[in-house]
Amino acid sequence: MQQTVIEGIDGVADDVVALTLRATGGELAPWAPGAHVDLALPNWLTRQYSLCGDPADRDAYRVAVRYDPLSRGGSEYVHRFLRRGRTLDVSLPRNHFPLADAPHYLFLAGGIGITPLLPMLRAATAAGRPATLLYVGPSLDSMPFVDELRRSCGERVRIVETRRQGRPDLDALAATLDEDTLVYCCGPAAMLEAAEAAFPAERLRAERFQPAERSFGPATPFEAVCAGSGDTVAVPADESLLDALAHAGHSLPSGCREGVCGSCEVAVLDGAPEHRDDIGAPEGRMYACVSRALSARLVLDL
Amino acid sequence: MTHTRTRPRRVSLDEVLARLGEPEPMVKAKVQDRIDDHSRRFLAHSPFCTMATADAAGRADCSPRGDYPGFVKVLDDHTVALPDRPGNKIADSFRNLAENDGVGLCCLVPGMREVLRINGSGYVTDEPEVLARMRTEAKEPELAIVVEVAEAYFHCGRALIRSRLWDPASQALAEEIPPIGEIAAGQFGAGGDPELLDQLLKDGYRKLY
Repeated sequence: MQQTVIEGIDGVADDVVALTLRATGGELAPWAPGAHVDLALPNWLTRQYSLCGDPADRDAYRVAVRYDPLSRGGSEYVHRFLRRGRTLDVSLPRNHFPLADAPHYLFLAGGIGITPLLPMLRAATAAGRPATLLYVGPSLDSMPFVDELRRSCGERVRIVETRRQGRPDLDALAATLDEDTLVYCCGPAAMLEAAEAAFPAERLRAERFQPAERSFGPATPFEAVCAGSGDTVAVPADESLLDALAHAGHSLPSGCREGVCGSCEVAVLDGAPEHRDDIGAPEGRMYACVSRALSARLVLDL
Repeated sequence: MTHTRTRPRRVSLDEVLARLGEPEPMVKAKVQDRIDDHSRRFLAHSPFCTMATADAAGRADCSPRGDYPGFVKVLDDHTVALPDRPGNKIADSFRNLAENDGVGLCCLVPGMREVLRINGSGYVTDEPEVLARMRTEAKEPELAIVVEVAEAYFHCGRALIRSRLWDPASQALAEEIPPIGEIAAGQFGAGGDPELLDQLLKDGYRKLY
């Protein structure tokens, strides 16, 4: 964790605030576009937000938070109760959505999904790569950073206000793209689905805010062996690997507990994990909060 | 001794009021008919409350409720809602609410001496939009209790000051009480192995949501 102080809580669109989190000692950890951090909120909730400031600024992070009327306590807390001047613990940045090298880019942002894409567009622009941002929202009032984007990236930015213009035709857009264009999409589920239908999977990189609705077979019990200590931990069908490990004295960090944030990543040395996360676990890794086992036992690097 | 031969003397309300004297006008004035911004902020940081209900005959019950801070959700200025998390399934509160909708809450914030009291009338809901806001550790409660607020006010801190409730040194009191397995074995009668009961209860505590 890195300690910061909340320097600013500024309205940047209807129901969206940007937090400026300034380092209290030394520089903050470096990050690349697409990275997110966990904020350890005073109400014990940990929430993930994409960094949307300038990676060259090592003294402050910026995140933006949309108020969700169905808030489970994260965005509501940030909007209503977080106080300027208070200290806030922030995790090291993690990046499940890195900007790969490509000759052309198309960035597709839906509403608050602009946050990881904003530094990507800047980085691509700075690298001299042809890049376009299609930024979609109900109306300008609800879309953060429009002025900032227009100032810094000008004609590379195309804004679509769905209330006036309807949803953009992604199929038509896909037909006009160069073959080697890499598409980055972040937005609500409907936009991700439209993007998945319009662009070939190998050229699309998407980030979700909420877990996709998916179904798995019934959970079955398995054993987790902690390679370091040699402990064998029984994981019952009705308990997560994360909880079973914690009760056996092997606590992992955790955040969302639903396979989105990646805080509880653990290395798998042997056995076949059944990945149930929305991140896409790298080879040899799994997320203990939701993922289980296809084999009777897993050997973990613990 | 298990029984007192004579009951303590009963004092009438008139006599009680005569002895207490009149409340300060400020005390009466502090009672709000809504959840104002201060109460809202307090609730956002409160991980614990007690909930009192009673059945149609007035037989009373009070049960503890605890969760992440902010678990008492403010739906609007006149309405709050509490999740029903897995518990002992005895459903005393639900039975009472079905007969008598009166509810009293005492909400606490660790470290804070004053208590937020909310009185009103309650009912049970399974409204998806209410339950969605209560999703915790990837689990939504199946039911929630909605309380329509009649009164909300901050109760003075004397009780918590006198009880030293937030003084870490007070936790030494718990060391003088036997483990819950031993209590359960004593109350269930013969046959219960205290250590086994203790382990069973601890295993039960692993599943909080």
